[in-house]
Amino acid sequence: MQERDNRFLLPYIRSNARAFAAAIAFLSLEAACDLLQPTIMSRVIDQGVAKRDLSIVLSLGLTMLAVTAVGAIGATMRNIISSRVSQRFGASLRGDLYRRIQGYAFSELDRFEKASLVTRLTNDVTQVQNFANGLMRIFVKAPLLAMGGIVMAVLLDPAMSLVLVAVVPVVALLIAASLRTSFPFYRRIQGSLDKVNGVMREYLSGVRVVKAFNRFDYEEARFAGANEELSASMRRAMRVMALFSPAISLSVNLGICAVLWLGHRRVGAGGMRVGQVVAFVNYMTQILGSLMMLSFIFNMFVRAKASAERIGELFATAAPLSAPVSATGRLPGGSGGAGRGGVAFEEVWFRYEGAKEAALRGLSFSCPPGTSLGIIGSTGSGKTSLVSLIPRFYDASEGRVLVDGRDVRSMDPAELRARIALVPQRSVLFTGSVLENIRWGKSGASVEEAEVAARAAAAHDFISSFPEGYGTQVGRGGLALSGGQRQRISIARALVRKPSILILDDSTSAVDAVTEARIRLALRDASAGATVFLIAQRISSVRECDLVLVLDEGKVAGLGSHEELLADCEVYRDIQRSQAGIAEAHHG
Amino acid sequence: MAEPVREEPRPAGLGGGPRGGMGGGARWLQPVVRAKDRRGTMARLWASFGVERRRIFLVFGLVLLDCAILLAGPWLIGRCVDAMVPGPIAPPIAFAAALGALLLSYGLDAALVVAQGWLMAGASQEIVKSLRKELFGKLQRLPVSLFDSWSHGDLMSRLSNDVDNVSSTIAQSTTQLVSTLLTIAGSFALMLVLSPLLTLAALVTVPLVFLLTRTVSRRTRILFKRQQAALGALNGHIEETISGIDVIKAFGREEAAIGDFDGLSEELRVIGTRAQVWSGYIMPLMNVINNLGFAAVAAVGGVLAVKGLVTIGAIASFISYSRQFSRPLNDLANTYNTLQTALAGAERVFEVMDQAEEAPDRPGAVKISGGAVRISGGDGRTGGIRGIRGEVEFEGVSFGYKSDRPVLRDVSFEAREGSVTALVGPTGAGKTTIVNLLARFYDTGAGSIRIDGRDLRDYVRDDLRRIFGIVLQDSYLFSGSIRENVLYGKPWASEAEMARAVAAANAASFIDRLPRGYDSVLTEGGSPLSEGQRQLLALARAILADPAILILDEATSSVDTRTELHIQAAMIKLMEGRTSFIIAHRLSTIRNADNILVLEGGRIVESGSHDALMAEGGLYHRMYSSQR
Repeated sequence: MQERDNRFLLPYIRSNARAFAAAIAFLSLEAACDLLQPTIMSRVIDQGVAKRDLSIVLSLGLTMLAVTAVGAIGATMRNIISSRVSQRFGASLRGDLYRRIQGYAFSELDRFEKASLVTRLTNDVTQVQNFANGLMRIFVKAPLLAMGGIVMAVLLDPAMSLVLVAVVPVVALLIAASLRTSFPFYRRIQGSLDKVNGVMREYLSGVRVVKAFNRFDYEEARFAGANEELSASMRRAMRVMALFSPAISLSVNLGICAVLWLGHRRVGAGGMRVGQVVAFVNYMTQILGSLMMLSFIFNMFVRAKASAERIGELFATAAPLSAPVSATGRLPGGSGGAGRGGVAFEEVWFRYEGAKEAALRGLSFSCPPGTSLGIIGSTGSGKTSLVSLIPRFYDASEGRVLVDGRDVRSMDPAELRARIALVPQRSVLFTGSVLENIRWGKSGASVEEAEVAARAAAAHDFISSFPEGYGTQVGRGGLALSGGQRQRISIARALVRKPSILILDDSTSAVDAVTEARIRLALRDASAGATVFLIAQRISSVRECDLVLVLDEGKVAGLGSHEELLADCEVYRDIQRSQAGIAEAHHG
Repeated sequence: MAEPVREEPRPAGLGGGPRGGMGGGARWLQPVVRAKDRRGTMARLWASFGVERRRIFLVFGLVLLDCAILLAGPWLIGRCVDAMVPGPIAPPIAFAAALGALLLSYGLDAALVVAQGWLMAGASQEIVKSLRKELFGKLQRLPVSLFDSWSHGDLMSRLSNDVDNVSSTIAQSTTQLVSTLLTIAGSFALMLVLSPLLTLAALVTVPLVFLLTRTVSRRTRILFKRQQAALGALNGHIEETISGIDVIKAFGREEAAIGDFDGLSEELRVIGTRAQVWSGYIMPLMNVINNLGFAAVAAVGGVLAVKGLVTIGAIASFISYSRQFSRPLNDLANTYNTLQTALAGAERVFEVMDQAEEAPDRPGAVKISGGAVRISGGDGRTGGIRGIRGEVEFEGVSFGYKSDRPVLRDVSFEAREGSVTALVGPTGAGKTTIVNLLARFYDTGAGSIRIDGRDLRDYVRDDLRRIFGIVLQDSYLFSGSIRENVLYGKPWASEAEMARAVAAANAASFIDRLPRGYDSVLTEGGSPLSEGQRQLLALARAILADPAILILDEATSSVDTRTELHIQAAMIKLMEGRTSFIIAHRLSTIRNADNILVLEGGRIVESGSHDALMAEGGLYHRMYSSQR
């Protein structure tokens, strides 16, 4: 499972392989130069200082400088390449992931919390990118240095390098143990961190409710629990991890002591020179440094792996709604908005993933082009589910949804949606000016078009009353609009599109009655020719529709004009009574 | 995160606050790179460590000891090397002593490092825990206005990222800073002891190091700042387009969103690459400089050795020390930078702590007995109405979220004990503002609001809120089971009581249909329920809480009218004997209120019963007729 999840990385590795190889080559150059230094240094001592020969000291010193300069060039080149490669890798990974998410079907979006999608796009991608960069910096250099150090030490004195035979496995075991210990800790920490953040985020969003019910003690207790858990797991992790690095340095240091002891005996016996002992100690120190770095790398790797898995999960999520393979996607009557917009449902059943019961059960009806269909029904009766099937937010589980006589499943969702405009229940505006938000519905719409749409949505007056008019900034950091104002801009955004199918999902709930009546009137002109789906709570909102569909527990309870339904639909009459009758009930 | 739908326009920034204005884009995502008042923040942070300061001092002590031991290492190695040099001056005992001391120092070093890690883990986690706790406690005392105007994303990042930053960095960087400084000072001292002349040779490179670090870091600081800005803009775009992805898909705007994304992402890539490349120059150049120093030391050392002024062991030790001396110089720059970021984070945390709290209760503020029983839990079934009759009076109340934009102008009315008052009027007329003032989410500007003849501000605030039952249009539910959500206002209620409240809100049938009934877990924000179902749960929550004054702000706007009719009976029962305020767009809902206040432009333009207002033929008449 994990293997497969990480496979998404392969193409990136492949496309960056050459640059990566170049970086590694320069890195090796850099490492080689680092490795030469102790040897040169030992010569300075043995051949120069010990023999009191100043010219050798100077020439070796210059050699050393030259070697360092070459190393520096290697390091600089490697740095330039690795920075570019890792940044390019991060950017393309991020871009592909973003594209992937934008291509998700709604059923796939339902599977992830949006906050989690955002974290994966930002933090997790950065983690993986940092790892890639590190890979080309220290991550490869450290093992190279460690191995090179061992090789140089063996070359220097094979007998003495027996010390390494004892030290290296111990250190390897320590690193392995630290990895095995740390992974579960990281996961646990991540989990507790999520909990702490969760309580905080909820408090921020629900602050009025908490204050109104005065439940701060409860929230505080909840928070204290999560807080305690987080700090306990952090503390435990930090303490356990604090044991490993001193243990690693202690084993290498003991090795150094062994080298000194052996050196003492062999120099005494004349089998070794002092400079060689010094060089050997230097190599040991270098090996120690790179081993410490190595254990750090593995820790980074564990973290990056967790992030890569989270990203891989998104890539592995089932392919988005497939565009038709057979059909060319061209619509009858030409492309774009030229279709006429007739909609029909044939025995449509629909069930949300993981839901116990179907939301829609065998719906059938048809709407000729240019007609308006009011949809009314109780809370949870499936009104929103019904309209979500038309733009293929979801596909029907059974039965067919037809637009202009064609099954929507045979159409490209993009082309289908280009002809549909939707005003959702919760109005979402984006950062930018009011004008930008309206024109968002149709790229290239003129200012005049936007204004016409705003008038039809009864939004022109309040927009004009802002000091900056249509240029007023909304969304994050902009002017905070009231619910009703947001809804009206959102309606204007839909109207500017001049769609052949217009869907209004209870989109005037935050608008007062007078304004709603005005919008209804203007809509009739603005949406002329479009097939309109109007979800509403009030009979008064739908009574002028050509057809009214009464939904009850996912089934059609009545379909006809207002008058017809009054005559022969019990549920509709019930609704009618409830709206006239709320007043009477109070008298009772 | 969907923004809550609200009635009146709100101020779009913290008035006069340090982050006021909030103009444009995603500025909140950009970390401030540097603390504005470093010394002040540092002192405050230190003070906030509280009792943990003792443990930190202990750690510093251990670090000091460890540094001394580590400094002895190269010296002892040098002694060992000297002892190896064949000659009459080296008795075997000297080597054994030096090696023994070296072994001991390594053992001590390991023990000290473990002890440091152990202590620091405890101290730093204790510090962060209490910092988080203090911050969360602070949230309780902050006024609602702050949450309305401060971006939640920004607050969140302060509460989580910044606090974590403070913990991990301060703990690690300060000890590192201490040990680095000590190592530098100690190495320098030992170098001087070993050979003043060699020391002079080694110091040749120091000015070069400083020059290099300053040139490069001046460059990188600017680049990193720009990188943070680019990252902030990109993250802002991601946040917004993922939250609004439903709408983007509905309008087929995926390509446009991707286009914007690509632009921002490319910008980040270009700046990020430059920043990384520049900061990468330091290490290799530093290496060259260090080796230059080494060559100088070797040359001078060679001359001195030739003249017999230093031993070979001394040169070996010296080289180690000069490395220890120059390497920490690099570390020092790094540590200093991380510390800077952490300090900036600490400052952002303190900024939250410094926000003005809700005004404290006035001296002699009246406690409300009924409410006090509740919080003590258990047997408080008698409810919160004791001690409060529920007479509400507004007198000449004027208010604006921003001082130059009044939302309410000179509003006066009275609600008798047990009466039902309806607030109607067009969007933006000030209805929700009246609720905000009544529940003391905001305090009035001019005029006064009285309950039972006493000014609101003369009550203990927590007690006061307890007498209200508020159901808002944006029916916020917490993640947790349905049961927990309904019991939120009265956790000690019995199962039967809860069932009654749920039935009264007409929520029983849909709860029963859920696979796990009352134990169904809601996610943050309440999914998988529909908007209307969420409102019914919020209503059940208020019914169960049994408040003295009931406020329904568009509480049933997303509930269909038949269901509403069903709950109507329950609501009427709920309103019995309670002073109630109802805001509704559906005027049929409020026909039978005792008093209907028609608001327009922040003033009461009409008031009276339904029949009286209909007879008057004014705004109410027009609104009512349009709904028929």
